Amino acid sequence: MFAEKACSLIKELSRCEEGLPPYNIELVKEVCTEIKQLHEQNKEDGAIVANESEIAGNVNPLYPTLRIGSAAVKRNIRCLLAYHYNRLRTLRTMRWQFGSILPPDIKTNLSSDEIDWFSKYSSCLGKYMRSIGEDGLNLCLDLRPPKSLYIEVKCLIDYGKFELSDGTVLLLKKDSRHYLPRSECEELITQGVFHHIV
Amino acid sequence: MDPDEVEFLGEKSMIEIVPTFNSAPIYFIGGDVGPFRASIPLRVPLWVAVHLKQQQQCKIIPPDWMDLEKLENLKEEEKSNRSFIKMPSEHYIVEAKLILGCAADDIPRTDEIRTIIKDIWDIRKSKLRSSMDQMIKKSAMYAAVDNLTLMEINSIRPLLPHALEQIYRIKSNKRAILNRTQGSVTTPSNATGSFTN
Amino acid sequence: MDEIDIESALNEIENESDDEDEVQISLPEIIQLMEETWLNEKFSPEILPNKMEIVELLLDQITTLETNLKKLNNSDFKKGLYQMEVDRLRFLISSYLRKRLEKIEIFCTAILEQEKLRSQQGKDNYLSQNELQFAQEYDQSIKDNFESVMRFCPGIIETQIISPNIHSMVFLKSKENIDGIVIDDGNDDNDLIDLTTGAQVLIGYKSISNLVKNGDVHLI
Repeated sequence: MFAEKACSLIKELSRCEEGLPPYNIELVKEVCTEIKQLHEQNKEDGAIVANESEIAGNVNPLYPTLRIGSAAVKRNIRCLLAYHYNRLRTLRTMRWQFGSILPPDIKTNLSSDEIDWFSKYSSCLGKYMRSIGEDGLNLCLDLRPPKSLYIEVKCLIDYGKFELSDGTVLLLKKDSRHYLPRSECEELITQGVFHHIV
Repeated sequence: MDPDEVEFLGEKSMIEIVPTFNSAPIYFIGGDVGPFRASIPLRVPLWVAVHLKQQQQCKIIPPDWMDLEKLENLKEEEKSNRSFIKMPSEHYIVEAKLILGCAADDIPRTDEIRTIIKDIWDIRKSKLRSSMDQMIKKSAMYAAVDNLTLMEINSIRPLLPHALEQIYRIKSNKRAILNRTQGSVTTPSNATGSFTN
Repeated sequence: MDEIDIESALNEIENESDDEDEVQISLPEIIQLMEETWLNEKFSPEILPNKMEIVELLLDQITTLETNLKKLNNSDFKKGLYQMEVDRLRFLISSYLRKRLEKIEIFCTAILEQEKLRSQQGKDNYLSQNELQFAQEYDQSIKDNFESVMRFCPGIIETQIISPNIHSMVFLKSKENIDGIVIDDGNDDNDLIDLTTGAQVLIGYKSISNLVKNGDVHLI
């Protein structure tokens, strides 16, 4: 059936709710081949229909074929774009979550175009944030309304040394608990190093 | 909207506290607060009150309406009325949650107050559910929501707006088709709903 | 700390006719305005005219306050409260700017087209200069990526432009008495409604988008 491969691309992506599945270059290429073939066929059919309708004046029997062919091309392209667009949107979310450096396990699943896009997005976002006000504003912080100045957090991994803005150095071990200024640990919470104990 | 964000807006409500310390005023960007004189009541934003209370630097005076007898009357009125009555505070839920949460020792009979506010919220929520049902059945595209508080409005979002958007989509597609096939055709309907009468 | 006296600010407003461009509003009023601006942007389906002048004014206030905070003794109980207010304002501003970026990204191509149209008609742009630049770079990066994907089948171009649904239903609070708002109910008979100051309604965004933009109502 037409566009079946394109559809499985989409399914593959939607099955993976968090993170990104590896970029499926094989399937993308196959979908592109199908598009190309359908497109060629449509061009031929279209030429015949255009020619013959001038002569006969009534509906050409090839007409339904042509319509289905063109709908199939459209559907294929739509799926292809949706696959790529949604991957970029996931990458976008990761930029907000992890900052400008991607975790290596995610990076291995990306196409070179995607890595390229990520660094472009990252720098254009960074440029925008630096342009706000006098000294810039990091929009990746202050994600939720502030509740209190200090919060209790639990460290989820062996992180190592962490320096506070007043110069104090903490050793963050797995399962250790800390009572810290909210502004100091927000970044580590979004990165999943800390868990905020409510 | 996240309930935390509704709370954020509600935290600007002014409430009365009795400080246990003396201090010159605080010059906030949002306006001056103070001066503070021990044992002399003054009005401060709720978020300031909660912070001071957590540091045990003040006593919180509950708002007038946070009184068992008044709330009992309010509950009866809400129950006997088909429409929504006007709440004594635009942020009654937020105020109740934060004040009762941090200043239980300043307020007599907190458990009973908490229960009765929860009752009022529940009565109003059930009215909300039946109003929503009516609106969707009537396919109304407009409703007055005058006496609803922000937290209540937020609780029917996104469900009600989304449902109505879908109905609108169906209706306007139907209109487009009718207009195309028969010229302009109108269907009589009453498209106005209301949450207040 | 810059303090603007409320009373003199109100006098300024009363004298508006003398000095129309230089209306002084008090800082508490500006914060109130920032909150409304935030809610408007949060709930309106389309991007609204930017309010960078408020954002920048408040950011300046924050910077001044933070500089002064460094001079305060750590043991002063006021320090924590000042810091909390700074955090609250920074959240408000960041959340507002984030919401705008989200819309700019999702509706990028549509927004850029509208902005172009506005420029041609000599109207004010909705995006700030920096947002516009971000939008253009973002749009280009998405298009480049798609083009690269489609290199396997050259000569076939198909794009989808995502536009906001301006028929979204929104809640609003009226700040003025307003007569004759047309309700589009999806059929052809359109009712008219009037709003009094303080009235709250649920209504289609399209009927009131101009009222949000001129500040007669705000979304809740």
